[in-house]
Amino acid sequence: MLTSIVATPIKMGGRILDQLNQEWILAFVLVAISAVVTLMNPRFLSEQNVSDVLTNSSYLAVAAIGAAIVILAGHIDISVGSLIGLLATLSGQLALGAAEGNYPLWLAFILPIFAGMLVGAVNGFLVAYLRIPSIVVTLGMLSILKGGLILWTSGEWIYNLPDSYQFAQESIFGIRVPIYFMFGIMLITGFWLRYTNSGRAVYAVGGNKQAAKLTGISERNVVMSVFVINGALVGIASLIYATQFNAIQSTAPAGLELLIISGAVIGGVSILGGSGTVIGAVLGTILLRTIDSAMIFAQVPQYWLMAVQGVLILVTVSLDIMRRNRQLQL
Amino acid sequence: MTETPILKLTNISKTFPGVKALDSVSFEVMPGEVHALLGENGAGKSTLIKIVSGVYRPNTGEIAIDGEPVQFSTTRDAQEKGIATIYQEFSLYPELSVAENIFIGHAPQRELGPFKMIDWRKMRQSARELLASLDIHDMNVSQNVRALSVGNRQRVEIAKALSLNARLLIMDEPTAALTESDVAKLFEIVEQLRKRGVAIIYISHRLSEVFEICDRVSVLRDGEYIGTQYVKDTNEDELVSMMVKRAVDNRFPKLPSDPGKNVLEVRGLSHEPLTRDVSFTLRAGEIVGFAGLVGSGRSELAHLLFGIRKPHSGSILIDGHPIKFRHPGQAIREGIAYVPEDRGTQGLVKEMTIKENVSLSILRTITRFQFIQSSEEKKLAQNAIQQLGIRAYSVQQIVEQLSGGNQQKVVVSRWLASDPKILIVDEPTRGVDVGAKAEIHRLLSKLAVERGLAIMMISSELPEIIGMSDRVYVMRGGQIVDEVEGDEVEQERIAASMMGDRMNSALVG
Amino acid sequence: MTDTVNSNVTVEPYTNSLFSQLKRTLLRQEMLLVVFIIFFGLILANQNDRFLSSRNVERELVLLFEVALIAIPMTFIIITGGIDLSVGSIFGLSAVVLGFAWQDWGFSMWGAIAAALLAGTACGFFNGFFIVQFRIPPLIMTLATLALFRGIALGISQGRSARGFPDWYFEIGRGDLMGLPNQVWILGFMLFLFGIVLTFTPFGRSLYAIGNNEVASRFAGLPVRKNKLLIYMFSGFMCGLAAVVFVSRVSTTRSDMGVGMELDVIAAVVLGGTSIFGGSGTLSGTILGLLLIRVLTSGLLLSGFKGDATIIMIGTILIASILINDIIQRRLMKS
Repeated sequence: MLTSIVATPIKMGGRILDQLNQEWILAFVLVAISAVVTLMNPRFLSEQNVSDVLTNSSYLAVAAIGAAIVILAGHIDISVGSLIGLLATLSGQLALGAAEGNYPLWLAFILPIFAGMLVGAVNGFLVAYLRIPSIVVTLGMLSILKGGLILWTSGEWIYNLPDSYQFAQESIFGIRVPIYFMFGIMLITGFWLRYTNSGRAVYAVGGNKQAAKLTGISERNVVMSVFVINGALVGIASLIYATQFNAIQSTAPAGLELLIISGAVIGGVSILGGSGTVIGAVLGTILLRTIDSAMIFAQVPQYWLMAVQGVLILVTVSLDIMRRNRQLQL
Repeated sequence: MTETPILKLTNISKTFPGVKALDSVSFEVMPGEVHALLGENGAGKSTLIKIVSGVYRPNTGEIAIDGEPVQFSTTRDAQEKGIATIYQEFSLYPELSVAENIFIGHAPQRELGPFKMIDWRKMRQSARELLASLDIHDMNVSQNVRALSVGNRQRVEIAKALSLNARLLIMDEPTAALTESDVAKLFEIVEQLRKRGVAIIYISHRLSEVFEICDRVSVLRDGEYIGTQYVKDTNEDELVSMMVKRAVDNRFPKLPSDPGKNVLEVRGLSHEPLTRDVSFTLRAGEIVGFAGLVGSGRSELAHLLFGIRKPHSGSILIDGHPIKFRHPGQAIREGIAYVPEDRGTQGLVKEMTIKENVSLSILRTITRFQFIQSSEEKKLAQNAIQQLGIRAYSVQQIVEQLSGGNQQKVVVSRWLASDPKILIVDEPTRGVDVGAKAEIHRLLSKLAVERGLAIMMISSELPEIIGMSDRVYVMRGGQIVDEVEGDEVEQERIAASMMGDRMNSALVG
Repeated sequence: MTDTVNSNVTVEPYTNSLFSQLKRTLLRQEMLLVVFIIFFGLILANQNDRFLSSRNVERELVLLFEVALIAIPMTFIIITGGIDLSVGSIFGLSAVVLGFAWQDWGFSMWGAIAAALLAGTACGFFNGFFIVQFRIPPLIMTLATLALFRGIALGISQGRSARGFPDWYFEIGRGDLMGLPNQVWILGFMLFLFGIVLTFTPFGRSLYAIGNNEVASRFAGLPVRKNKLLIYMFSGFMCGLAAVVFVSRVSTTRSDMGVGMELDVIAAVVLGGTSIFGGSGTLSGTILGLLLIRVLTSGLLLSGFKGDATIIMIGTILIASILINDIIQRRLMKS
């Protein structure tokens, strides 16, 4: 049995690599960009910078995994940016309270995840049971969360966080903790999506709703679950985000949800649902952060980053849709 | 040797509001037999298979599987009893692999420590084995279904049914969209299935196929069970006769016509694969019927004439001038009107009122200085109501509330309002009650004779074709295979051309 | 396929009684909105003497001008079953083009204004082209262009703002005509014009048809693709126009203008009774929806809520209106 536990991941790895196409392209682009920029500025590939890029990608990648799962089921969640801001503040406030000895510190880690799941459940309910389009539900939720956060923080940042709280700044074996989270969650969710019936049901619902129903898959359950899981993952992402710096901002950075969704879409998660991998979502996010860093090192004005993002999304989506439209006979 | 039939239906009746789809039908299938189910459109075949697969519940009658009575509340119940249906629209996942499509929902699993995980390797292997048992050895089970041809997708559907241990497989028009080699391959698979003891209900209009692979054949007509024959004991003509022989009554108010000049001439029109080298003419004042089975390409032909699709080759001439349509709006301006086959999705905007639907195609004519003239629109609709006898309370009524017959009249009146030269009607009285049917027929006849319209009538109801047409073209496989006029216009001749191999060599090069 | 059995659906009696007519009128979303506006308006007027003063009303109208203007084409788009999430970005990009054409690229002021309008329309064309030609769902297309157009705006402006416009330009956004601010005139005119287009012209009629049944519209010979392209271009143009007026009022351009605007616009349209699924809606509803949101926002502000936090209310309204919309539509169908 021990041998099978060891041998399986290796064989799994081989099989998985067979399936990835977009992901290979991404990896290639990643390498290409890195190569080019390193020629211009060798410090791009320094250990410090690689670590920084990967660390900065981590919380985004975790959230992108959540976004990918929702998109796989055929929906979208654009409230994730505001949710991260809110949960980060929640976590920070709890940490401050814990520092004063009111309650244990682990609450500051656990409660935001549950809160995220709660918000996810609300979204999921509105979409799965009340049949309101997910774009509208999450657009509304985005503003509710954003406004809520503003009310709560009144523009004040959170400082003086206890050292024991800021795990994202720690390293284990020389690698920053967030990076472990990023790859760890990628492996766990990847396993779930690929090797369990419930995971495959997500692909089924996103790929062909009617067929899924005929197979006995409950669309409502699946949709509800993906939003709740997304909420949990956003919760984890917010923890990484909150503990990464010495302060927690009063509002989430603008365009966060777009960055997260872009990571997933560019990573090959088809916006039409039913295909894509979490490995792709992670790679897509890392690619975006790499481009960001590359622009700095190549001394290209950073202001063009968002435009690049937009073009990448557009190209990826257009290709995907054109390819799908061509095989409309099913 | 009396075996227990794997499926036995006794006195099954099914009524929908206003229509008796099945009337006391009894039918049985033996294990391992390939049993054809024949009948015209509307004969009740599709209702019958939906009852067998658990989609509908019968109003009366009994279903027995292996001799034991069963009741299906859901399709899953039927599946568990070993009944699988392969419809024309496959229910596959294009973005998932062949293997996964076959085993979705019941993937083979294995254990990894305390976890249970899907065993992809076993799935692929099992998929390959399943396909091999059908003598399919060349399919890559890791490929996405999206990349497969229609023939291969069908094979995946069959393998899927087998993976659920189907013992009775219902195939609805399986060869409709297949190439010749796919059809040959399908027959081989059917042989394999037969050897495994799987029974097949085979629904097809292609009589040659029935004679090639089926053991027995049962015929439905107008919701009634007519009879069952061993294939070796019967022939095409007898089957056709069973399907269509009915008292042809003269309730069709067709007036004698005096056709004028050629209004529409079509030469060598092609849009592969659904339209192949079609040529015909239409004269003013005549009604020309287009008979054929579903999928024979009649509606597609109409779409080419109306600008919904562009032909790949060939020409269309109106009053002698060649025309190329890029858009339905253009066709309308040239005097062509098309009453579509599916009034729900193609004909009406259900949430709009009668007057809005009637004026939809000709808004231009009731507009002054960019404003829709409300009074003219109302008048138009009121005329329509009067002329066609539409039963409604006001022109403001939402068409969704109208009965099928009245809805159809609204669509027809819209196209009449466009004052066309050529009127194409596609299944003009489908789903329409007897009274409205007669009214529509009367109207069409009047339009041809009194107003000189050239009418192209596409219909799957033989009595309608025979009762209304001056001439009849029969289409099959995208081509016109027969043209009949005068005395030759009768049910069996037309049905035989629709389904058989007969070709009028004068028409087909 | 052969089992259509529509033939004997019972026809509901179309009662003409006064009661059912009244019920129909009251149930209409617009009546409800008017009632709420009056209700909350009176509450606020009670708490604050100056609330209903003409100066305050004018000020409110000026503040909601941009959102209102853009809500007009958004109504058209949502009626056809589409959506445009990029309006905020088109607005921002047009503002940036306006500012930098004048400040850096040597355009005359009129030239800059034209450039801004052209930029907006071009963005709209870009959206419409991909949506119509490549059949990319509007949701995804405009989500992508939300990023792309904003990105271009950021790239052009490089974080700088533009200023130094000629004095006459400020007249547009700050001046008035016969006692009413210019915005009121422009908005009033646009509402009137496009309200007529929507209700009385073949083009307007085609939008409802497309939203209800695009296939049937095509079979009926309506120019579906052309009209869809036009409404997205219309949206882009209005964003440009709104930007021109807005910049003239605040006298500067910044690259983050219009961020989040799509929320306000879509909420107004949906609250106004336009179904998110397409096929119904009116401009009068949209403007009433906007007014109600404005009244409620003012109310919150006066009670001490911070300005930015009012978006909580807008988000809630967005979700709630769709639910209410759904319920009302189902009730109407039954009666």
